[in-house]
Order: sequence, then structure tokens, then C-alpha cells
Amino acid sequence: MSNAVTIKGLTKTFGPKFAVRNLDLVVPTGSLCGFIGPNGAGKTTTIRMIMSIIFPDSGELSVLGQPSADKSKDRIGYLPEERGVYRKMKVAAFLTYMGRLKGHDGGAPLKHKVAGWLERMGLAENAKKRCEELSKGMQQKVQFIAAVIHEPDLLILDEVFSGLDPVNRRLMRGLIDEQHRAGRTIIFSTHAMYEAEQLCDRIFMIHHGLKVLDATLGEIRSRFDPRTIIVEPASSADTSASELRLETIPGIDNVSSSRDGFELHLDDHADPRAVMAAIVRDVPVRRVELKRVTLEDVFISLVDASEGENTEQLRAAVGATGGEETGK
Amino acid sequence: MMRVLQIAWREFSSTVLTKGFIIGVLLTPVIMVVAIGGIALTRNLKGPQVTGKLALVDRTGVAAPGIVDRFSPEAAAAEKAKAQEAITQAMDKSMEQIPIDPTQKAMAKGMIGNEVDKALAKIGRLSVTVLPDDTDDAAIQTLKDVLGRTDIHAATKDPSLPEPTVGLIIVPREAVFASEDGGYAEIQSFWPEKVDFEIRERIHRRIGDAIVDARVLTDPKFAAAGLKAEDIRRLLERPTAADKVVTQTGEKKTAGPLQMMIPAAFMALLLIAVMSSGQMLLTTTIEEKSSRVMEVLLSAVSPLQLMLGKITGQLCVGLLILVIYSGMGIAALIVFSMGHLVDPFAIVYMILFFLIAYFIIGSMFAAIGSAVTELREAQTLMTPVMLVVMTPWLLWLPISRAPNSMLSQILSFVPGINPFVMVIRLTSSEPPPLWQTLTAIAVGLATAAACAWISAKIFRVGVLMYGKPPNLRTLIKWVRMA
Repeated sequence: MSNAVTIKGLTKTFGPKFAVRNLDLVVPTGSLCGFIGPNGAGKTTTIRMIMSIIFPDSGELSVLGQPSADKSKDRIGYLPEERGVYRKMKVAAFLTYMGRLKGHDGGAPLKHKVAGWLERMGLAENAKKRCEELSKGMQQKVQFIAAVIHEPDLLILDEVFSGLDPVNRRLMRGLIDEQHRAGRTIIFSTHAMYEAEQLCDRIFMIHHGLKVLDATLGEIRSRFDPRTIIVEPASSADTSASELRLETIPGIDNVSSSRDGFELHLDDHADPRAVMAAIVRDVPVRRVELKRVTLEDVFISLVDASEGENTEQLRAAVGATGGEETGK
Repeated sequence: MMRVLQIAWREFSSTVLTKGFIIGVLLTPVIMVVAIGGIALTRNLKGPQVTGKLALVDRTGVAAPGIVDRFSPEAAAAEKAKAQEAITQAMDKSMEQIPIDPTQKAMAKGMIGNEVDKALAKIGRLSVTVLPDDTDDAAIQTLKDVLGRTDIHAATKDPSLPEPTVGLIIVPREAVFASEDGGYAEIQSFWPEKVDFEIRERIHRRIGDAIVDARVLTDPKFAAAGLKAEDIRRLLERPTAADKVVTQTGEKKTAGPLQMMIPAAFMALLLIAVMSSGQMLLTTTIEEKSSRVMEVLLSAVSPLQLMLGKITGQLCVGLLILVIYSGMGIAALIVFSMGHLVDPFAIVYMILFFLIAYFIIGSMFAAIGSAVTELREAQTLMTPVMLVVMTPWLLWLPISRAPNSMLSQILSFVPGINPFVMVIRLTSSEPPPLWQTLTAIAVGLATAAACAWISAKIFRVGVLMYGKPPNLRTLIKWVRMA
């Protein structure tokens, strides 16, 4: 499979500060990639470099087979983090203008397309309103339309879920999924871990300008497997008896209480399935479940870990190499 | 290229198709015409008038009859006729170079005649009461007391009231008969409050003329030579001159002050067009930056394309302003049959120098707009641009009076201001030699190219910079960085 975006050894500094350091990244065509990282990690800088809005100090970039996005801007849809519209311009006119700037031929087909999108987004009645008259959420929808109106091959969405209420988050999730199913490659940066987990088939994380995670969701789950079993006793009356029995089951090295029951940490050699079977056999339980790591847990653990140790070491520890070597 | 044109069209239409632009650009001339009309109307209103008597104490014994005569209705009529004659002559002379048809000429004369009438009417209802030559100080003091209590407007408003005394004039003997050292004494005059200065001046002029007449009449030398005051006045009148310029093709009349106004008008037009469109470029760039639409645009076009599009759009706005205003000006000149004063070539040159000046100032405005987030932050960076713009105003007079002086020639090659200087010189009565025009154009084009190049670099870095507004040193750093 060809790659929509390939980045090799990308570095960008602002004065003495490294915004992005020696970054390697591969976004396969047709994939939906989440780009996560704490505030100021370098996500927006990376995205702006991919978009050729700013230029790297060193490193190589390939976007849709071209050495820079300048040559393929018409095939890219971009929703920047800092959203903006022409305040005095009418909604439909703004979208038509953006469509034409993105290489659409304009005329009646573009008008129909704009009208269709406004209808889908529930903004049909606002077509003739000035952009400044719309609410923030509505403006965000207008900007999303502006990013996809020219049917791009690559869609880059920076902080796409910020400022949206739950209803609109769900709507946006549906739209992104739909664009993905239409065959578009999508990169979106976000702090919304739930959405990233729901949508993405690949996750990148950078911290202090360095890549600390680059893997599919499945890889992340197995790499960050907590090896923990959650047990909810059948009744709250015999809690202490249950705890005593659980401690005797082989393969469990630690039992801790949680709100609904216990969390059992497995030792390195234990087989989770055998342990779960033993629990069901020995202890009256309502629920036994193998704990699954959340992206939020991974995110926080990586950030926390980096506070204590060198990020380079951290990166080596978590094996943030994905499909490619990072070059260091 | 299509994108640049699309950006240009948006920039142009979003500027021109707004109420602000239509009101600002199209209604400004209308407002000016209305304002000028308003001023003319207020001038048409009758000025202060005064009704009453002037008390005259003539210590000379010879001036009083002349003074009384000067305030008679016959004298007023003669004065009016004379003033009209003088105006007619002056108008004939100035209109020689302007081919105005006789009807318009007659209308103008009629209007001026009316003005003269109104001016004379101000003191048309004054009469002179001659007091005895030897009126003593006590009587004079009594009169002064009366003046102190006089309301000069009461009698004017209500004709049924007795005519008040509105002034006391004392002509000392030495005002007519020179003292031993050959000098003449001044007239003393006393007025109640609120007598208009124009009225006092007109009264003094009449009395002064009468006194001069009295001096001539009483001087034995003039009497012996048979000279009258009128003769002497005529003798002392400075001759007028009929100027003509001799050229290779023949003689032509020199152009009047109007010719000096044409370069000023051209320069003002150039400045208005450049500044209006430049300012709008600044405002729209700042707006795009502060509304954060900039990054969306940059995902579709490069910073250079964006800047070029914006500059082109506002260039069209400037040209539109230029066409509207110069069209109005030329139409007005044609209506007043003065179309020949504008050389069609001058308009071509003006458009050429507009393009140069616009690219210099416009690209500076674009760079400043890209570097700041708010209009007030732009003020400090605007100083160099404002210097460029203000200099032509300071230089207009010396250049248009001496279009080929060393100063004018040197300024023609100073980058930044030379488009304005050249427009003044080219539309003046002595256009510069062709080589200077061509060199100035070359200098202008080079300056414009340099400004556009520097601005493009600042623009590229500036458009995505938020936070503290940069100073000049930071801008230079950006130029090096980009």
C-alpha cells in the first residue's frame, strides 16, 4: 500500500526551542490516523509543515507523492486548529469561494454541492446569513464543509472535536467515518481520546517534539496490556471471604479493591484465561472481565513517565517505532 | 494564476460593494459640492448693515463738503459703477485664456454685480451731520457719551425709531494741511460697540478719499498745475502687464494660477487613490489575520499568491477611485470649457506612476498588515509609510514653482517619493526631459520590485505570527529568515 504522507527526520525550531525533533512518520493511504500529544507537543507545527504553511529546518517530506503539499494543495482538505471565517461574508458565498480556491470549477455544480452540504449539516436556512451571525458550533460545521467541499484525497483535521457539544461530536464522528469509508486518508489531531479510540486505525503521539508512540490500536492494546482482571463479587456481603479466596488462586500477584470489587494483577507467566476460569470456579462472582487499556491511560502514562525520565529513553522503552525505524 | 485572480476579485468586490465604500468614495465629492454650495450660500446672506448718522467735526474747514458728497446716493452709484468696471476688466483679462461663452460671462458679471450691490448696501443708509469746526471738547464728550449708549442694531431693525448717531469722526487740521515736517495727522474716529470692521473700513475709505481730494485742492502746487485728485490717482496707478511666453511654435499666453493647481490636483488624486487602497489592504489583511481565516486560505494558496491577489484586488480599487475622481474632475473642466488644461498624456503618466506608487506603498501596507493582529498595533510601523506619503505635500509648492530646479531633479530619483514628484513635474508648465521621466520610471519600478520582494518575505512569516507585535528589527530578521 502506498503512503499518503511520509516524513523522515523532520526538525523545526523556533528560536532556541525545538518544536519538532527528528520526526519520522508514515501515513498509509486510506488510513485514519489519530495524532495525539499534550498541548505544545508539536502537533500543529507538524501539521503545518505537512501543509507547507511553514517549512522544516531539515528533513524530508512527501505528501500524496509530491515533495511538498504546495504541489498537491487541491487534493488536501484542511481544517486548522485556529478556525476562521470571513465574518462579513455570507455562508454559501464563503463555501463557494473556498471551493474555487481549492480548484473546483465553480458554477452550478459547486453551488449545488454547497447547498447539499449545508442541508446535511442542518445549516440550509443559514446559507444567506453572514458567517458572524452563526454560533461557534455552526461555524465549525461550515469550516468542515470548506475542508471537504472539493473532495480531497487527504483530509487533515486539527483539533476537530474541540468546542463541540456531545450531539455535534457524534455528528462529526459520523462525518469523519463517512469520509474514511469513501476512501480518503484522514489525519486528525485531538485531545478527545474517546473519539480517537472509536475512529482511528493508527495512533501517533508526540511529546516535546519527539514521537513517543506510533502504532495501530491493536498493537497499543497488546503493548500496554495491563494484565489485570476485574472481578465483581456476587454479593457485597462476602467481600472479605472472596478476597481471601482470590489471593490463593495461582498466577495472581496482587489484589486491590475497587469501587465495585477487585482488580487482580497477573504475574508475568500467568495465562489470563486459566486464571479467569479458576476465579469463576472458586469464587461466586457477578462479573469477571479482562481489563482493556484505554488510549487515555496510555496517553497519561506516557506523559507522566516523560516527566520523570528522558523522553528519548521513554521512546525507546515504549518502542515508538511503528512500521518504521525512527532513524535514531 | 486563477487563484490570484479569485483572491483579487474577492478583495475587490468585498471592498467596493460595501456601503462604506460607496458612501466614502462616491458621496465625498457630492458632500464637497454641497459644502462649497453651502459656503457660497452663506456668503450670499446679507452682511451687517448700519443705519444712522455720522457726526463730523472738520477742523480743516475744507474737507466736510467732500465727505458729505461721498455719502450721497449719487456718489454711491458712481462708486458702484467704478467697482463694476474694475471687476469687468479683471474678469475680461482672466477669461481671455478661458474660452467661456458670452452667456456664461454675462451670468458671472451679473453675479459679481449683485455682490457689489450687497457690499455697498451695508453703508448705503448712512448720512453725515457736519458739526461746527470749533465744537469744543465738552460737546465732543457729550457725543461720546451718547455713542456709549447707542444700540446700532435697533434702528436698522425698526425704521420708525429716530436715526441714531453711529460714529463720530474728527478730522484734524493737519490731516489736510501738512505739518512743518511734511507729515499728515490721522483721523480720529469713535464708535459705539458692535460696529462691524468692514463697515468701519468702508467709511474710512470714503472719508480718506475725500481728504486726499481736499489736500490736492488746497495745495497751491497742484492748483497751479491744474491737477485734480482724479488725475493724480490715475498717474499713480501701476500699469498691468500682458505676459506672453515665446515658444518654438509661437507665442502663447502664460497660464495663471490655475496651471499651478493642476499638478497639485494630480498629486492629490494620486495620493488619495494610493492611500485609500493601501489602507484598505492593511485593514483586510489584519482582518484576515485576526479572524484566523488566514490559515484556511494558506491551505489553498501560497502566501505569495495570497499577497499578490490581495494587492491586485486593491489595485483595482485604487484605479476605480482614480477613474471616478479624475473623471469627475475632467468632466468639470470640460463643462467649464477648460478641458484643454489637462494633457491626455498626463493622465497616462498618472496611471503609470499610480501603479508604481501603489506597488511601493501597497506592498508596505500588506507587510505591516501581515505582521500585526490589530489595527492599533500597526500605527508604530506605519511611520515610514506616512513619511513617504507626507513628503509630497511638503514638496508640492517648491516643485511646482520650479519644476526643473536642482531640488526637483534630485527628488525625481529618490525612491518612494519620486512617483509623486514626477506627477507634479509632468503636469506642470515645464515638463521634464524624456530621459528624466524614463529614469524616474526605472527607479520607481526597481523600488516597487524591491518593496514587493521584501514585503513577500515579511508576509510569509508574519501571517501566522500572533502575540507581541514586531518592531522594525524583528521585521528585518523575518526578511533574512524567509
